[in-house]
Amino acid sequence: MKKLRGGLVVLAVILGLSSVAIAANTANQTVTYEVSAINEVSVSGDPGNLVVNTATAGSEPTADTDNTTSWAVTTNESSKKMTGSINTDMPANTTLEINLTAPTGGSSAGDMSLSTTAADLVTAIATVAESGLTITYTLSATIAAGIVAQAQKTVTLTLTD
Amino acid sequence: MPDIVRRLGWSRSSTTPPIILLVRLFFLIVPLMLFLAEAEGIDIYATGGWGETIDASDLVSGAGSDLLDTYESAPNATAATISSCAGDTDNWRGDVRRADGTWHGDFTLYVKKTSDGTGTGSISGGLTYTAITTIDTQHFSGAGNRDNINLQYKLTGMSIHVSPANYSTSVIFTVVDT
Repeated sequence: MKKLRGGLVVLAVILGLSSVAIAANTANQTVTYEVSAINEVSVSGDPGNLVVNTATAGSEPTADTDNTTSWAVTTNESSKKMTGSINTDMPANTTLEINLTAPTGGSSAGDMSLSTTAADLVTAIATVAESGLTITYTLSATIAAGIVAQAQKTVTLTLTD
Repeated sequence: MPDIVRRLGWSRSSTTPPIILLVRLFFLIVPLMLFLAEAEGIDIYATGGWGETIDASDLVSGAGSDLLDTYESAPNATAATISSCAGDTDNWRGDVRRADGTWHGDFTLYVKKTSDGTGTGSISGGLTYTAITTIDTQHFSGAGNRDNINLQYKLTGMSIHVSPANYSTSVIFTVVDT
């Protein structure tokens, strides 16, 4: 009878431990996020009229500048650059330049002449969100340009690889 | 004859009366049945989940701004059911943890209970967001069966510094019979 009792005690302990070990139950759920590539650029508006109408005697006409506008950029990618172009080329002997202030970590190319071919304006842009970055336009003309009628250009700024 | 059988005294010798064998069988079968019943334990089931796509529309104010830091699921993103309780006084606790697939170190995932569900059992706790870590953390507790306990998730830590990719984690709910 002692053997029976001993056996039952051993059995009870084993079964008890086994029971505790599997008394929990689980259920799974999956939480998924997709972060898309984000590359957003905007400008604050149009610059004022650029007019070349003065000169110092003996020198080429004085260039006109405008720095009243700014640009903003957000990207979650790296190795991006800003390029700029205009819809049609400038009249002969006139030049329209643009200078973009670089966001943190980026590198500005300084004053760059605009044409129908995209030019690199800011390089090495990476994971940044900044606004209020100054845009400076400069219109210059030599005396050889003569009188040029008022015209408009559409400047396209692009954030690209 | 195996030694363990002899040690347990369950072997039949030529002198063992049948009634003794029946008694021994009774003591063997009853604990086994009780064990099997207990081994089923309390069950937890969960349906639903949460998926979110973060894109330019989630910028705080367009170009020049960062992404929104925090995202919340629908209040009923997950419906959990606790069943197979022994009765309305069978106490349990609900733990939660996560097992990451591709995850980002800046992320913190939270869960909270938005409804107590239905059933004759009871439930308490879990009304505020609990951070889901990789270690089991008690989120709510109760007793007895409860159906359709609604759960809501929240993710924080999103920014443009999180590289474009798919991120996922498994949220593991565990009910522990207490």
